[in-house]
Amino acid sequence: MEQRKKVIPESYIPIEASRTLRMEDKDYLLMNDAMYTFYERSMGEFSQFFMALRDEKKILGCRCSACGVVRCPPMLTHCPDCAFAPTEPVEVGQTGKLLSTPPITYFATSMFLDKAPFGRGRLVLEGADTALSIMLYTTTGILTPGIMKKGTEIKIVFQDERTGQISDIFGVPTSELTPEQAQKPGLLASELNWAAVKEPDLGQATEEAKRASQGTLVELEALLKEMSASKRASKAIENWKRTIAVKTPAVEFGLIIDNGRIWLERGRPQSSDFVMATEDIRVLLDGLDYKGAITDAIVKRKLWISKNIEFVTIFKLDRLARFLAREKKEGAAKG
Amino acid sequence: MAKKKSFAARKVGIVGASVTPFKGRWVEKTFYDLAQWATRDALKDAGISPAEVDAVAYGIYNDIFERAAIPEHPLQGIIGLPNKPGIRVTNGGATGIYTIASAFAFVASGMYDTALVLGVEKATDCYDFVSRSATPEVIKTIAWSGDSFFEQKIGWTASDSYAEVILAYMDEHPGDLKPEVTAKISSVLSEHVKTNPYAQRQFDQVTPEEVLNSRYIVYPLKEMEICVYSEGAAALVLAEEETAKAIAKNTGRPVVWITGVGLSNEWSFAGKGMNHWGRIYSHHVAAQQAYEMAGITDPAKEIQVVELHDAFIQQLEISMAEMGFVPMGRADALVDDGLMLDGGPISVNPSGGLLYCGHAVGASNIMSAWAARNELIDKGKHRALVHGTGSTICQYGGVAILEHED
Repeated sequence: MEQRKKVIPESYIPIEASRTLRMEDKDYLLMNDAMYTFYERSMGEFSQFFMALRDEKKILGCRCSACGVVRCPPMLTHCPDCAFAPTEPVEVGQTGKLLSTPPITYFATSMFLDKAPFGRGRLVLEGADTALSIMLYTTTGILTPGIMKKGTEIKIVFQDERTGQISDIFGVPTSELTPEQAQKPGLLASELNWAAVKEPDLGQATEEAKRASQGTLVELEALLKEMSASKRASKAIENWKRTIAVKTPAVEFGLIIDNGRIWLERGRPQSSDFVMATEDIRVLLDGLDYKGAITDAIVKRKLWISKNIEFVTIFKLDRLARFLAREKKEGAAKG
Repeated sequence: MAKKKSFAARKVGIVGASVTPFKGRWVEKTFYDLAQWATRDALKDAGISPAEVDAVAYGIYNDIFERAAIPEHPLQGIIGLPNKPGIRVTNGGATGIYTIASAFAFVASGMYDTALVLGVEKATDCYDFVSRSATPEVIKTIAWSGDSFFEQKIGWTASDSYAEVILAYMDEHPGDLKPEVTAKISSVLSEHVKTNPYAQRQFDQVTPEEVLNSRYIVYPLKEMEICVYSEGAAALVLAEEETAKAIAKNTGRPVVWITGVGLSNEWSFAGKGMNHWGRIYSHHVAAQQAYEMAGITDPAKEIQVVELHDAFIQQLEISMAEMGFVPMGRADALVDDGLMLDGGPISVNPSGGLLYCGHAVGASNIMSAWAARNELIDKGKHRALVHGTGSTICQYGGVAILEHED
């Protein structure tokens, strides 16, 4: 039998342990711990809404018997604006328009690190008057600003495996779908054409660019040395281990992170955790030198990474740059 | 719109205040010790003993941060107030302002003559063992505050919910909240913090360019436009008129009166008849109530100091507009017209705000009141506004008006 998913993934759970931290000549104790409660949660008056998602691939709202307003999600059995007149369930459409431009989460909580970047918008579905909060993706790669705005038409997509919760659905822009997909009620995630992860074509480097890149590499090496030597900066990559294959038209190398230390190894690494590709190695150097974030270079498509989930490593590199810059500046401010 | 607010039965003043240092992490102290420390210093500032305190209101935002379900109960004895009334307030980010309002009501109503306002928060013990850093677990802990049926499971965070409101505002006012203006405001606050020795980032001055270059956390919010999580405590001593005057005579520090209080929580779901999307109506309503109580008709002319809950710089700008300091859609006047720049008429967040002093949630707005009181007394200014916000989409709003008569 297939192993069922646990409500808390095993990897999140720390081992029973403690450590001692020395602060100004005194020891302090830090204890691994958790505060947990399990639930068999009553879905109550929302049961029909969630069962309709799970079993029928339908979206339900509620209509007020007095004012006729249709609320989706169905809030609630009685209308708060009409002296609590009763409401009745109604089915609403599966396309709608965004009430406002949706935010995009690049830095997520520990439970959503592997799902970022994602959008979360307020979708007013056809036949509804209020907005449903919904997770938003594009099928065209990493979600960047401008793809979805106020008024963008969005289609609801159902996960193939559904358990009767709000994460059973998400939205994509209707413009990325075929007319048949856009029309189809209960469209499944597996029916979408998710653009395959493809390494960008970086083109050829000129001889001059190759020569220049050698100088940049030396600069980069000096900066990484400074980072590894800084106690403050290296905290950003404490207990972290990654080998990144960096590819540029002019040069390839490995960027190695190993528990507070970072360095580069010339030549293509034998194996790597992920690939980072950019036309100009300066983009990476500037990011590490705290002149523009690496995150933003990805958002602006100046730098490409092979795995979305490695945004977590990119954030650590951005912090590393910031910590080093801050240490230098505070040192100067304090005199 | 809320009904006309009844006025306080008795005059209430602040006669003592304190903050502990705000730090990224207090490994050396539990929240017990932080709470006791702030209490000790506030009572010392007022020159009174615990025996002279009639009641306490605790501001502690999140049980999960403190890792205990009723985290205030151990504090009652620790702060020397056994067998006295204690109420714990938890209202999201607005916990501090609501705690001040609760203690104010205790004293204004005539129920008690003095009350302690005590806010404390430990946040960064939360730790994500996968990414081996605190922040993803801290924001996860706050993310248990999203709607549990419809939003928690799709990645709701405090940042993305505030970003929703900010983007909706920007849809309506595309020329406002210019990136160079939000960058300038962050830079200005980083200069203010220099004189706050209790701040987490006292020596972290940034240029507008550095803010512009900082990374996106949640579009459209950049790292240096977002407050930092902090640990610490803050306290105020409130007293009714005669007691306040007697204490002030003793300490030589004038009473700062609380002359207006306004509170408002709006709908948390969006759509027809449910919300004014792109507005922060709770801040507008809370401010109007407080102005009415304090007799203020033109806040931009009558208020000199604003300690505003700057969870995000863009929200700071919208909140200033909602509270009537700048027109809606023209919030950039804060910088473009120099309103909050050096030499301008309004000092905004002399403490450095939650961005630079730090956001120790339950203590934050109380720290703001501490800073506003100092600004009024030390700089001889007349009137200050203290603001708090919280919950999803800035749903909660609270405003207090402080006045210094000398």
